[in-house]
Amino acid sequence: MRQLPLILISVLAIWPVSGSAEPAEAPAEPPPASLTVKPVLCIVDERTPSCDLNIVIAWRAPRLGYYCVLHDQDVAARRCWSESRSGRTSERRELSESIEFRLEQGESGIPVARATIDVLRKDSDDRRRRRRTRYVWDVL
Amino acid sequence: MRKLTIVIALLALALPAAGAESPWRLGMALGYGERGNPLVSADDIPVVVDLDIAWFGKRWFFDNWDIGFTFHDGRRMTASLIARARSDQVFFGRAKFKFLNIAMSGEALEDQVPLRFPDRHFAGELGVELLTDGRWGLLQINAFHDVTGIHNGYEVSLDYGIGLRRGRWYFEPGLRLAYKSEALNDYYWGIRHDESSSVLPSYQAGAGINAGITLRASYHFSKRWALRTAVDYESLNDEIAASPIVKSDRVLGYFAGIGVRF
Repeated sequence: MRQLPLILISVLAIWPVSGSAEPAEAPAEPPPASLTVKPVLCIVDERTPSCDLNIVIAWRAPRLGYYCVLHDQDVAARRCWSESRSGRTSERRELSESIEFRLEQGESGIPVARATIDVLRKDSDDRRRRRRTRYVWDVL
Repeated sequence: MRKLTIVIALLALALPAAGAESPWRLGMALGYGERGNPLVSADDIPVVVDLDIAWFGKRWFFDNWDIGFTFHDGRRMTASLIARARSDQVFFGRAKFKFLNIAMSGEALEDQVPLRFPDRHFAGELGVELLTDGRWGLLQINAFHDVTGIHNGYEVSLDYGIGLRRGRWYFEPGLRLAYKSEALNDYYWGIRHDESSSVLPSYQAGAGINAGITLRASYHFSKRWALRTAVDYESLNDEIAASPIVKSDRVLGYFAGIGVRF
């Protein structure tokens, strides 16, 4: 019984060793490139048909290189970074339609990540879509 | 399996073509809420699921059990014929049979007497609806008359609502006034002689105006998902409130849950 603490200490001492005794794994794949934009949603309606947003764009890539961020509404408004693996920028833009940003790698412009700001429309050309029904079970 | 196929087909149809607005509006909210029940000895109505099923064609439309035909759609106004059901019967479906030894008048009784709630039914109504909107909000005017011979009455109502955006929050306050004719009020809230008893005196309800206020607030996580909440308060007209089967002169409804749009 006196040997029990000794056995426990031995087990604890071996535990991490046994873990490292397994065959070494192949080097993990680097995480893929990421692109995030904030905010991600804009709500429009009759009274406020667009959103005046300060869009914060951040990206990260696994390798150093030449990267550009651009979007489909204004291809000329691209921001590029040389010999970088991350970047951050912001732009002020008025949105009334959803917009997709792309992170492109190299001069060839291969898209490696995408991010979207969605526009949620509360208005409609069909005013019947905003009518209220009056049933006892309708609370929303 | 057949139901699942129909649901999948509806969802597929609900997905709009690029740039086009789908004729379907399908949504669902899961959460918890209640609609108060103004009847004595009756349970409130729980609301766990709120379904939104609507289809809008050029003329015809279906909007959560309302069937409509639009005969005018102009720059300022949309006018439609609407067929709908009157759902006040739901309150009576939640009423509980019980024995009383005190009459509704407060008078003590020698023996326990059963309180039997009168039977009330859904009514089919036909009417006209006018919608007009602008930056000031949406105004909806309805006039409905019973066409099924259930209550033979009519209702004229006015709804006003406006949408207010604040970040990801969207608030929709609304006001409502509804004039209910004598025949409509009396069918649901009156007590006929053959329905009266020592605990339930006969009562004839006259016409009156209900007033209501609503606040819906949604917090949008994404284009499809949102936290959805609503509070609805309706003040019942004096003719309803004075009915011996009515315990409260107001109906409060509320709901909070997670909603999704398909």
